[in-house]
Amino acid sequence: MSAHEERAANQGSGPDPGRASWARDLAMGLRFAVGGGREGWIRTALTAVGVGLGVVLLLGAASIPHILESRQARGDARVAVNGDRPVKRSSATLRYADAGTSFHGDPVRGALLRPDGPDAPAPPGVHELPHHGEMVVSPALKELLASPEGTLLRERLRFKAVGTIAEPGLAGPGELAYYAVSDRLAGEDGSFRIAGFGSRIPPRELPPTLLVLIIVACVVLLMPVALFIATAVRFGGERRDRRLAALRLIGADRRTVRRTAAGEALFGAVCGLLLGTVLFLAVRQGIGSVTVWDVNAFPGDVTPSPALAALVAVAVPLCAVGVTLVALRGVVIEPLGVVRSGAGRRRRVWWRLPLPVAGIALLLANGQVGTGGGTVDPYLIAGGAVLVLLGAVTLLPWAVEAVVGRFRGGPVPWQLATRRLQLSSGPAARAVSGITVAVAGAIALQLFFSAIQGDFMKVTGQDPHRAQQDVTLPSHDVATIREMVARFRTTKGVRGVIATIESTASRPGPVRRGEDFPPSTQVTVGDCASLGELAHTGPCKDGDVFVVKDSTGMVDTGYLFKTARPGARVLLNQDIRTGKPDGAPRTWTVPRTARVVGSRKDPSGQTAFGIFATPGALDTAALADPRARAMVRTDPAVADAAEYVRNTAARIDPLMDVRTLQNLERDKQFGSVRTGLLVASTATLALIAAGMLVTTLEQLRERRRLLSVLVAFGTRRATLGWSVLWQTAVPVALGLALALAAGAGLGLALLRTAGKDIFDWSVIWPMVGGGAGLVAVVTLLSLPPLWRLMRPDGLRTE
Amino acid sequence: MIPAGSLLHAVALHKAYGRTPALDGADFSLHPGEVVAVMGPSGSGKSTLLHCLAGIIAPDSGTVRYGDRELTAMSDAERSALRRADFGFVFQFGQLVPELTALENVALPLRLNGTRRRDAERQAREWLERLEVDTVADRRPGEVSGGQGQRVAVARALAGRPRVVFADEPTGALDSLNGERVMSLLTDAARDTRAAVVLVTHEARVAAYSDREVVVRDGIAREGVAAV
Repeated sequence: MSAHEERAANQGSGPDPGRASWARDLAMGLRFAVGGGREGWIRTALTAVGVGLGVVLLLGAASIPHILESRQARGDARVAVNGDRPVKRSSATLRYADAGTSFHGDPVRGALLRPDGPDAPAPPGVHELPHHGEMVVSPALKELLASPEGTLLRERLRFKAVGTIAEPGLAGPGELAYYAVSDRLAGEDGSFRIAGFGSRIPPRELPPTLLVLIIVACVVLLMPVALFIATAVRFGGERRDRRLAALRLIGADRRTVRRTAAGEALFGAVCGLLLGTVLFLAVRQGIGSVTVWDVNAFPGDVTPSPALAALVAVAVPLCAVGVTLVALRGVVIEPLGVVRSGAGRRRRVWWRLPLPVAGIALLLANGQVGTGGGTVDPYLIAGGAVLVLLGAVTLLPWAVEAVVGRFRGGPVPWQLATRRLQLSSGPAARAVSGITVAVAGAIALQLFFSAIQGDFMKVTGQDPHRAQQDVTLPSHDVATIREMVARFRTTKGVRGVIATIESTASRPGPVRRGEDFPPSTQVTVGDCASLGELAHTGPCKDGDVFVVKDSTGMVDTGYLFKTARPGARVLLNQDIRTGKPDGAPRTWTVPRTARVVGSRKDPSGQTAFGIFATPGALDTAALADPRARAMVRTDPAVADAAEYVRNTAARIDPLMDVRTLQNLERDKQFGSVRTGLLVASTATLALIAAGMLVTTLEQLRERRRLLSVLVAFGTRRATLGWSVLWQTAVPVALGLALALAAGAGLGLALLRTAGKDIFDWSVIWPMVGGGAGLVAVVTLLSLPPLWRLMRPDGLRTE
Repeated sequence: MIPAGSLLHAVALHKAYGRTPALDGADFSLHPGEVVAVMGPSGSGKSTLLHCLAGIIAPDSGTVRYGDRELTAMSDAERSALRRADFGFVFQFGQLVPELTALENVALPLRLNGTRRRDAERQAREWLERLEVDTVADRRPGEVSGGQGQRVAVARALAGRPRVVFADEPTGALDSLNGERVMSLLTDAARDTRAAVVLVTHEARVAAYSDREVVVRDGIAREGVAAV
């Protein structure tokens, strides 16, 4: 169109440059969206559903601060603090003891209480303290105990459930928790007295590296959502453009047409906003029954921050209008109903490339941070990450255009696909921009994760292959200890128990010159099998004794031999406080046949040394203040062996500590950040997949007539199927290549920020594979509609 | 009774879209090299008849024979193979593949039928020359005029040297001058290659290029008046 024609077209409808004309044109767009017939409604519905899904995620993200605050507040309110100064007993105090356990891998928060009087405080969420032998339980625990799956837990928590813990006493609706009252709590069992619940525990400040991780994660997760909303606003754009061409025919100028399109998009976006809000409220109501990666929340917790919610309410419609106006710059809508891609202008790289470069520069400008310190400027980090990812998104259309422009020839499906991309690479690039950002972000985060996780993971030294549970037996009476060990040995699913009774032996006689107290060492009594787990005993039979040196080199063997050496006489009942025998001296002589051997790390990761004796060599009744430990080996073939062990422990003593042995221990904050990321990325990927599917289906619908014509020629299904696959695969391959570059760049910059030089390439490929897999799933899902569209019905209007 | 020497023959075709009948016992026959115009008002069922004859859609009842083969008894894959090998198509708006150049569009049926790209494009170029549109060989459909596009579509239909060309309102979107030129080129080229043509049109001016007219009304085809 010539300049003169354009001027004429612009003057044709006599545009009013003021607000009135804007309002009039927007209103016309709204009328088109509402009264545009079936096509108009489909378009509006597609946009509304797309925007609505995005809004659900945005409102979910805007609720995170409130979720965290609520959980923190409820957590603080139920804390029982064992302070430095003992609380005096009164009618308003109670004894408290932690009695938590775990069931099928889920933690069960529990406490035993013993009120000192009628005014004893009740924990938050508990209306009234139950009586002795009774408990109040969380709704989730109540449900579990009532179900067949909870049979084993019912055997463990043998209190009568008389009430329910209400929301103020629970972290989330899915939490398993109970408070039981027992009048057997006493001072020596680990319980303590409190006058009330609740304490403000200042939240642990996040380490800078974790803060960087959270900021980048927010950017990485929310950018695809924003891209999805932008894509949703363009759903059905080609049909809308044809409708707008009809407007041009009756004299509307280009500005009017653009504003009308903006009005139509605005209506779809507002509908999406409303739909998203309704969906969010509906999802929020049912959120308590959903647990994703161990996280759940009360509906009341999932409340968006007012400022962020307002931002979503304003930004989404504005984004819709902005995207529409930008999209219309790429097309020429002419009165004859012809909509062509604007002038075939080649995409330029000069303004796209500086974006990721500037992003990397911003990230590096933050300087180094580490777990020990350093300052994190959230704006620099977030801005840098946004620019890098935005750079990948803006480079993608250029890369697709530049690469597919070089393709010549090839088989028919390849030719159809590449020619289609050459003609219009924009929609294809847009379709994969979400996955590009998501994969780039995931690569960067994985690189960062793998580099910093060493700071947040502790190698415990435990060996869960040799024993699975570690039990501290709460008794100092040898006969009772033996009985307890016997009960564990006969527990279902237990293959063996490494049980030892420990005490102290010291050199008899007075303190010598240079000594503050007589030298002493540990005495460990156990059967040959148990001792063999703690020392390199070699051949062993009952009646044998060993002098065990510390193989770690921490304890001087010379010092050890002062007490523990073959033929030495040792005192078994020294009072540690006085250094003298506790009553009549009980001495024992280490047999001359005792062998000197090296210690061995036990399954719990500890190393013991000193005198190791079998029961036939040393009567444990002679030991003073004996302590007992048991490490339980369970049969992996018995599914609930661990639960049977815990049940045995609970029957012996509800407060008995049973620890599961594990070789790695993860920092709780790090673990929760990782869990949060998994939850959010699952939702984001689902959204991306939905968006890609809608876009692909829409493109197919747009080509329905052409597909029918190709079918008329006798084109094979496979030919068109491969063509669709190539048409998706080529931009996806380019998108993933860009994602790889951007993700690696962003990840390296983040690693530099964290002062890490670990660069683990292996973490990249699962992300790329995941992205490719997602595309394969979307392509597969789009094939059945393609087969349906390949029917000749499309020719009927000919 | 099959007319002697007929190439394509349909008997008692019935086809309904939902509860709306499109064909209600239509008969049709076509001889080699013959140009037959199928006429009738909008919605009379003429396009449906063409689609049934070409094996694009299956009739609800009735039979279509092509030579000694029963189209209505063939599988979808067999009918597709037949369309690739023996039939050519021209539609109202050309329906060229928008992303392919004119040359690639004309070469497409040949390539779909297994001809190597180089050979297919050489033959396509010859057809473009014959239909006087070789100057737009490297342009995409959006860059050529309606008349040129339709001539490219005719070249595409004839490039595979089909035995039958099905033309559904081939001049419907053209002005009279361009329409006449397209019809003249189509029928001349078809006669040169001994291809039969089934020409669906509602314009008498277009039907005048045919050897014989069949009028479809209310789903029934009747022999019309000889045009030439």
